Amino acid sequence: MTLMSVPLVNYITLSAVIFFIGVAGVVMRRNPLIMLMSIELMFNAANLLFAAFARAWLNNAGHIFVFLVITVAAAEAAIGLAIVVTVFRSARTVDADEVALMKG
Amino acid sequence: MHHVMGVDGYYPTLIALWLLPLAGALVLWAFGPQLRRSAGPLGSAVILGSFVGTLMLWSSATQHLSSGGVDLVGAHQTLFSWIPGFDFGLFIDPLSLLWALIITGVGFLIHVYSIGYMDGDHAFARFFAYMNFFVFAMLTLVLSDNFVGLLVGWGLVGLASYFLIGFWFFKPTAVAAARKAFVINVVGDVGIMFAIFAIFSSVHSLSFADAFAYAGSYSTPWLFVICLALFIGAAAKSAQIPLHTWLPDAMEGPTPVSALIHAATMVTAGVYLVARCAPLWSQNSDAQVLVGTIGGLTALVGAILGCAQWDIKRILAYSTMSQIGYMIMGVGVGAYEGGVAHFFTHAFFKAQLFLGSGIIIHALHDEQDVRRMGGLLRRLPFAAVAIGTGVLAISGIPGFSGFFSKDQVIYGTLAHGYAWLYVLGILTAGITAYYMCRLFFVTFLGSYRGAVDPSDLGMRHPELAGTSHHETEPHEAHSANAEWFMIVPVAILIPFTVLIGWIMFGGENSPWARFFAEQFPHPALTATAISEGVTGLITFVVVLAGIGIAYLRYATASAQSNAVARLRDESVHMPAILSNAFYFDAAFDLLFVRSSQALGRFFGRYLDPHVIDGAVRETAISAEWLGTLVRSFQTGLVRAYAFILVFGAACFVVYYAIVAGGLH
Amino acid sequence: MITFWALAILMLLSALWCVTATRPIYSVVALLGNFLMLAIMYLTLNAEFLAVIQMIVYSGAILILFLFVIALLSSGIAPFSVGPDRLPRIAIPVLALALIALGFLAWALAHTAVATPGATANGAPLGPVGTPDVFGSVGDFGTALFTTYLLPFEITALILMVAVIGVVLLAGDQAPYVATKKREAQVKRDMREAILREGGQ
Repeated sequence: MTLMSVPLVNYITLSAVIFFIGVAGVVMRRNPLIMLMSIELMFNAANLLFAAFARAWLNNAGHIFVFLVITVAAAEAAIGLAIVVTVFRSARTVDADEVALMKG
Repeated sequence: MHHVMGVDGYYPTLIALWLLPLAGALVLWAFGPQLRRSAGPLGSAVILGSFVGTLMLWSSATQHLSSGGVDLVGAHQTLFSWIPGFDFGLFIDPLSLLWALIITGVGFLIHVYSIGYMDGDHAFARFFAYMNFFVFAMLTLVLSDNFVGLLVGWGLVGLASYFLIGFWFFKPTAVAAARKAFVINVVGDVGIMFAIFAIFSSVHSLSFADAFAYAGSYSTPWLFVICLALFIGAAAKSAQIPLHTWLPDAMEGPTPVSALIHAATMVTAGVYLVARCAPLWSQNSDAQVLVGTIGGLTALVGAILGCAQWDIKRILAYSTMSQIGYMIMGVGVGAYEGGVAHFFTHAFFKAQLFLGSGIIIHALHDEQDVRRMGGLLRRLPFAAVAIGTGVLAISGIPGFSGFFSKDQVIYGTLAHGYAWLYVLGILTAGITAYYMCRLFFVTFLGSYRGAVDPSDLGMRHPELAGTSHHETEPHEAHSANAEWFMIVPVAILIPFTVLIGWIMFGGENSPWARFFAEQFPHPALTATAISEGVTGLITFVVVLAGIGIAYLRYATASAQSNAVARLRDESVHMPAILSNAFYFDAAFDLLFVRSSQALGRFFGRYLDPHVIDGAVRETAISAEWLGTLVRSFQTGLVRAYAFILVFGAACFVVYYAIVAGGLH
Repeated sequence: MITFWALAILMLLSALWCVTATRPIYSVVALLGNFLMLAIMYLTLNAEFLAVIQMIVYSGAILILFLFVIALLSSGIAPFSVGPDRLPRIAIPVLALALIALGFLAWALAHTAVATPGATANGAPLGPVGTPDVFGSVGDFGTALFTTYLLPFEITALILMVAVIGVVLLAGDQAPYVATKKREAQVKRDMREAILREGGQ
C-alpha cells in the first residue's frame, strides 16, 4: 500500500508539461486575463508535484506547501486583477502590447 | 660612516656671505622700479659685502687640523638635515676660497662697471637683481659640501645665465641664444645627475667627504663611468667640445654679463668640478686621458676659430673657450695647481679684455665689428692700454700673469706624461698670440674705418653687426659720471693682470704652491726630458712667432694703409669651414633639432589626435553603444520580460538536470 | 493507472484549450475543467483535504473573480483594441525552449533513480481515502498545520491581509468625498451622465 501504483516519473513529466503550457500561455497571449490564468496553471503544476512527492515519501509537508501555494496564488490573483482593472480605467485598453509605458 | 672634510664649526660669516647676494637679488627684484638708479650701487655693495666676508674667512679656510688620523683642511658648517642621514652644509677650503674670492671680487668690479655700462637702460634694476642672483648661485656651487648642493648651484647658475643672456628679450637672437645655452647646459645637468646616482649607489652618501673617502674602493670601470658623467656636466658648463656651441652665441648678452659669467666665473665651474673631485680623477688614468685630450682639443679648436672671427666679443668668446681648454687640460692630466692657476689669472685678464671692449663698444655707439674700427689708439687711449695689457697677458709674455699659469699647465702635461698634449699646448699658445694681436692691431692701428661702406669691408650682413640694444630702444640720457664707473674697475684690474702671476713664481716654494699644499694629491712624477725653464723658453719663441705673423699681416705700414682691401680679401676668402665653426651647429641641428621637431610633429598630428584622443572618444562611443544595446532590452512589453524570465528558469532546469541527473 | 492516464490527458487538453481559446470566457471554463481533474488527481494521491481546498478556493473563488473582471472589461467597449503584435512568432522560441528543457529533464530522469526515502515519513499512516486520521486527511493535515508549521500559517494570514489592502487601494471606489447630501446626489447624477455619454461613443 505504501508504494504508489503510478510511478513518480509520470507525475513529474505531467507537471513539467503543464508548467510549460502555462509558460507558453503567458508569453504568447496579449490578454492579461489569459496571462493570469496561465500563471495559475503554472502554480497548479507545481502543486501537483508537491502532492505527488508527499505521497511518495509519506511526508505531509508537501500538503502544507500546497496549501500555502494556494493561499498565495489567491492573493496574487486578486491583486493582479485589481491592477488590470486600474489599468483599464486609465488606459481604456488592457492589451499587454499597448500598455508598454515602461519602454526605455 | 660620515666623513667630514673641513673642521666642523659655526661660521656665521660663511652663511652671511652666501646669503647676502640672495637677499640683494630679492630686494632688487621686489623694489626695482622704486629703486631706479640706486639699484646699481645697492647691488654692488651687496657683492662687496660678500667679498669682505670671504676675506674674513681666509684664516678659517686655510686652517688645517689633524684629528683621529684624518687630515682636515678648511671650514665646514652644517646647515640642515635634508633627510635623515643626509646633511647639507657649507664648506670652504683653499679651492673654494679661491673661487669665492674671484666670484665676489671680480664680480664686485663688474657690478660697478655695469652701473656705467647699463646706464640709461630701462631694466636697470632687473639687471642687478639677476647679477646678484648669479653670484648667489655660483657661491652655492662652490661652497656646497655635497653633490646635491653643487647640482642645485649648477642649475641655478644655468638659470641665471639664461636670464642674463636673454636680458634684452625683445631681440629674437638673444632669446634664441639664451635657449640654446640652457638646453646644452641641461645635457650637462643630466650627466651630473647620473654621476650622483652612480656615486650614491656605491657609497650611499652624497657628501664630498664620503665620496672621496671611498675613492679607492670603486671598481675601475664604474669610476670611469662616474668621471665621464661628471665630465659631461663640466664640458657643457665650460663650453668644451662638443658642447661648446652655446658660448659664442651667448655674447648676445650685455658685455658685463659676458665678462662675469662667460669669462671669469660660470664657465669655470667645470674646472672647479674636476679640481674638487681630484681624488676621483687621480684614481683613474683613463678618465684623465679623456679630460686632458678634450681640454687640449678645445684649446686648439677655439684658437683656430678665434682667428676667423670679426665680432670683437666673439673673438673673446672663442679665446675664453680656448683658455678654459687649457684649464681643463691642466686639471685633467693631474696638474691641478696649474689648471687652477690659469683660472685665477684668466679671470683677471679676460674680465679686463671684455670690460675694455665694452668701453670701445659704448664709445662707438654699439659697433662690435672690428672691421669698422681702427685708429682707436688716439681716440680711446685708456681702452688701448687695457686691451693691450690683456693681450700681453693672454699671449703669455714672460712677466705677465698669463705666462706663469700657462707655463704651469703646459709643463704639467709633460710632467704627467702626456707628450702630445704638451705639443698641442705650445702650438695653441702661438695661435692665441696671433689672433689676440690681430684683434689689437685691427682695432687700434690704422685709420678709423667707421665711415667706410660695409660691403667694401666684406661684410655681408651689416645690419646684424653691432647687435647691442640701444638702436631699438629709446633710453634716458647718459649721466656724465657713467664713464668713470666703467674706467675705474678696469683700472683696478690692470695691475692684477700684470703682476698677480708673480705669486706663482718659485716652483714648490711659491706662495701659490704653499697655498694649495694640502689640497691636491701629489703623485710621484718621473723626471722630464725638458725642464720647466726650457718649456717656458720654447713657448715664448712660439708666441713671438705668432705675434710676428700678426704684425706682418696687420700692423706694418703697408698693411695699415691697405687695411680696407686686406680686410675685404680676408673676409671674402674665409674658408667656409671656419666661418661655419667646423659645422658643429649644423651637425647638432641635423641630429637633434630636426629629429626632435619631427617627433613633435608626429606626436602632435598623429599620435595625439588619433591614438590618445581616439582612445578617449572610443571609450565614450563604446559606452554609448553598450547603453544602446542594453536599452534594446527595455521594450516595455510584459511578454518579452516574461520570456526572458522563462529563459532563465529553463537554464536552471537544464543545469540541475545535468548536475543532478547526469553526473552521478 | 488507467485513472492516471485519463486524468492526465484531460488535464493536458483543458490546459491547451485554456491557453489557446479565442474568448476569455472559454479559457475560464477550460481552467475550471483543469482544476476539476487536478482535484480528482489529488484524491488518487491520498490528498483528500487538498482536493477539497482546491475546489473551494481555486474553482470557487479565484475563477469567480476572473469571471467578474471579464464581465467588467467586456461591458460595452471592446477593451482589446487590436494593435500590432509586438512579438510576432514568439511561439517558435518558446516551443524550442520548452522542448529543450523537457528533453533535458527526460534525459536526467532516465539516468537517475528517484529516491523514495522512507525515513522522512511523518504524520499518520496510510489508509483508504475517507477514513478519519489517515495520511492526507483533515486531522493529519490540521495537526501538521497547527503544530509544526504554525509560523507559515500565521504569515499567510498576513499575506492575505496585505492583498486585501492592496486591492482596496488599487481598485477601490474612486468617488470623491462630498460634504452635504444634496451635493452628493448632484455628484452621483453627474457621474452617471458621464459614463452614459462615454458609453455611447
